[in-house]
Amino acid sequence: MTAKKNKVIQKKLSREAFNALKNVVGENWIYEERSVVETYSKLSIEGGSFVKKHEKDPHVLPACVVLPASTNETQAIVKICNRYQVPFIPFTNGQVFCNPTNQQPTLIIHFSRMNNIIRIDTQNMSATLEPYVDYAQLQSEAMKRGLWNGGTPLATTLCKLSSQFAFAGLWQTDLKYGLFSRNITSVKMVLPDGEILTTGSRCMPKAGDFWEYGPGPDLMGLQRAGVGTNGIVTEITVKLHAWVGEESFPEIPAGRPSLAHVHDAKYDNPPAPLKNHKLLWMEFEDLDTQLKAMRQIAHSGIAIGLNATGVYSAFYCSQTQEMTVNRCKEHFFPDWNCYVILVNSTSDKQIEYEEGILREIIAEVGGTFLSETHKPEVLEALKPWNYDCIRHSTGYRMNRKCYANAWLPAGPLENAKTTSREWKKALDTFGELDITDRGGADDTPFIYALQRGHFCLFETDNYPDPVLPEELKKAQAYGIYGAAVFAKNNLGPQLMAFVNVEPFTTMFPETGPNANLFMRKIRKVFDPNSVASPGRQVFTEEEWQQFPGEVKAAVNKMRQMNDMPEVQ
Amino acid sequence: MTYYEKKPVKKFYEKELEDYRDSIWGCARCNWCQNQWGWNVKSAEYSEICPAFHEFRIFPYSGMGKMHIARALLEGDFDYEDAPEIVKFIYTCTTCGACEMNCQRMQDKEPLQVNETLRAQLVRDGVGPMPEHKGLIKSVKNYDNPWMQPRTQRDRWAKKLEIKDVNKEKAETLFFVGCTVAFDNTQWHVAQNTARIMLDAGTDLGMLGKKEICCGSPVARIGDRETFIALATRNIELLNSTGAKEIVTFCPGCYRSLNYDYKEIPGVPELKPKIYHTSEYYDRLIKEGKIKFKNGQKKCVTWHDPCHLGRHCGIYEEPRNVIKAIPGIDLVEMERIKDQAWCCGGGGGARTAFMDFAQKTAVKRIGEAKKTGAEAIVTSCPFCEQNIGDAMSSLDEEMEVLDLTDLMINAIEK
Repeated sequence: MTAKKNKVIQKKLSREAFNALKNVVGENWIYEERSVVETYSKLSIEGGSFVKKHEKDPHVLPACVVLPASTNETQAIVKICNRYQVPFIPFTNGQVFCNPTNQQPTLIIHFSRMNNIIRIDTQNMSATLEPYVDYAQLQSEAMKRGLWNGGTPLATTLCKLSSQFAFAGLWQTDLKYGLFSRNITSVKMVLPDGEILTTGSRCMPKAGDFWEYGPGPDLMGLQRAGVGTNGIVTEITVKLHAWVGEESFPEIPAGRPSLAHVHDAKYDNPPAPLKNHKLLWMEFEDLDTQLKAMRQIAHSGIAIGLNATGVYSAFYCSQTQEMTVNRCKEHFFPDWNCYVILVNSTSDKQIEYEEGILREIIAEVGGTFLSETHKPEVLEALKPWNYDCIRHSTGYRMNRKCYANAWLPAGPLENAKTTSREWKKALDTFGELDITDRGGADDTPFIYALQRGHFCLFETDNYPDPVLPEELKKAQAYGIYGAAVFAKNNLGPQLMAFVNVEPFTTMFPETGPNANLFMRKIRKVFDPNSVASPGRQVFTEEEWQQFPGEVKAAVNKMRQMNDMPEVQ
Repeated sequence: MTYYEKKPVKKFYEKELEDYRDSIWGCARCNWCQNQWGWNVKSAEYSEICPAFHEFRIFPYSGMGKMHIARALLEGDFDYEDAPEIVKFIYTCTTCGACEMNCQRMQDKEPLQVNETLRAQLVRDGVGPMPEHKGLIKSVKNYDNPWMQPRTQRDRWAKKLEIKDVNKEKAETLFFVGCTVAFDNTQWHVAQNTARIMLDAGTDLGMLGKKEICCGSPVARIGDRETFIALATRNIELLNSTGAKEIVTFCPGCYRSLNYDYKEIPGVPELKPKIYHTSEYYDRLIKEGKIKFKNGQKKCVTWHDPCHLGRHCGIYEEPRNVIKAIPGIDLVEMERIKDQAWCCGGGGGARTAFMDFAQKTAVKRIGEAKKTGAEAIVTSCPFCEQNIGDAMSSLDEEMEVLDLTDLMINAIEK
């Protein structure tokens, strides 16, 4: 082995704490080996996590990993953490949470052993899951029973539903069934002090799973999107909806790829959408027309999904990185477009009826359907979406070097224009990190029409080179700049935690200038020893005081721009 | 080396971890390296695909974990003294390639290649392989086979069979027997069946007999590149010198080595004969009408895709075509098949070093096979047959493990 640079040394838990944890899970399910904790440290899709690795920051290394098998074991672990003042981070895939660290040795609670579907109630259409159950698992079991969960995440189907709860949870098909967070009827959580909280109607044991609110205040609302700050989900009950397609996905005509031929385009060529489903693509001459069409489609009451894709189709539907870049340069996919998912759920003629309405809207607004006679090669290339629209990240590729910052503002449809304009301004000012950054500026941002179009989510991203710290830092800067832009333009809150510095989450007037102070008070109630998810969402005053002065100054400057008081 | 920097064209067996730097840093933790490809998931029970992660549940056992370990080693964040446990993580991998299959489809990165390169680095640095592998390497060096068997015993299976000795006379088709079938007398019947089927079909068949040497796959998989390259160089010269137009082999390890790995060694001559797996060859003979089956047996079977034959090399349909061509044989499929097949647990040196893990993995495959209602698991790999066979014996199951030729030999019309 070549001569080494500076090592990164992990901290360790006290032997008392370690042994107490070992007594809970047994010696086979607790690890503090150096290489094990390494695999729980460099996370993804957040530039800061990469930068800290480049800088050899020891604080990104957890001290220990523990794997509980039940709610009771999780509760025991959390109580030990309180007893010995050990900060803990609940962990599933580790794709979003960055920097699982604290100044003190930190414990990762990994839920990979809790991966069972506890029950599927076909009569009342609900499913109760352990925290490591993902969308593909739930969908496959539900589809056999003529049910499905109502949506597919804006991430891979390997997302665990418990984790999605911690982030509110957005779906590609939110148009009909609403956000994931509106499809939960109950959660069982281990609170940061070790108490167990059951929310929703299940908190009355004989009431069953029928609504999310339960008696009294909406405790689920308080926990939702808490990014793990207020507790750990150990059971989650979700609504199911009628499924009218096949029990499983049919084989693609080209057969299965092998490692020797995995990049052949024929393997990205699934058949038409599932039985009783139809996917239609439209293109428009400009963003205004696209938005007008999307508004009318969303408000018409048809379809279960309505989205626009820009640069993303170049990633999803290209076989190599080179092909992705070339398709971006050539604008192979329509700059202004949307797709609609129709489902034949109540009548054999439903798709026919809804397609008729859709065609009337497009004829009136102006737009062209991709078809066998209009850009058939583009329609052919978009085929991976045939499955992706129902089970995301199954048909597509993600040919990009590194995804390390996203702007994800929410708001009414017209905010797409502001997002696009501001993103272009940012790219022109700071420079792009990759040609693919232009997606959302030179073409449509990704637009997800949610809840019948009452609001939308927009997405534009940076793709820095993961081996170049200066590019990663630039991506981070885009994220921080984005938060300021949202606030300045009233673009609405980010719905995901890419900028997971708590004061930024309170930048938005609709949240209230001092919401962070309110949340700090709540945290004191839930987490009296301040051990849950350090560095997440809601800081204690002590944690805030430990922030570098320049960060505090930058935050307060942005708040000042919005006539908000300084963070105390 | 940055992401879009033009990289030097290198063959796999000259690559170092540094050559994968961008890929290693770019791991997105999407977790597809542990799970079945989304549109192929048919149940929660069989939704995972990495045998090691499935068993041990922590990330260092997964493809993603290997990328993180590789990154830390590459950047000097820790070394072997700080993390001696990495040897276990890196070798508890069957090299089934499921992680690489799904990562290539999603993120265009190479977790299996990275793990095999890590193994090569560990061997070079004297940290790997596992102690259990050292005897295997020594045997390959001393006896040209991994089973510590004398060269003179290599052709004992072939007594009474009229196969040409290509050391003495030319043959159009060379049967590359492979070490395991040649030396393990419980598997001799596979070699014998293979030879009989091809001879009966009129194939001009020859073999190297005692002169055959290991293809090098076992040492390549555990990271001893030096020994592998030496064997490959000898094999290329030996096989080219026979003048055979085609080589047929039953072992997926041999097939992958001869067909793909040798091409990834810098500076060696081309292996001239065309390489076939026996299932490809049978499929061709059936289509040419040279193998005909009679009615007779009735059996419901399921096909287990050997990883190095299926996922690595794309031989999915040929063995299935052969099974479907046999009257009375009903082929039923397991949930995890072809590119998403669950590994038997026996590959990549895992069975040699971690027998319990290998057997548990095979037990899971048997459970999946039983759910199809099949009476037998049919496959075409000496390691799968050994590993699943041993697990089946320990379970005291009535289900059989059969080689593809076992089904064929009794059904062929003579």
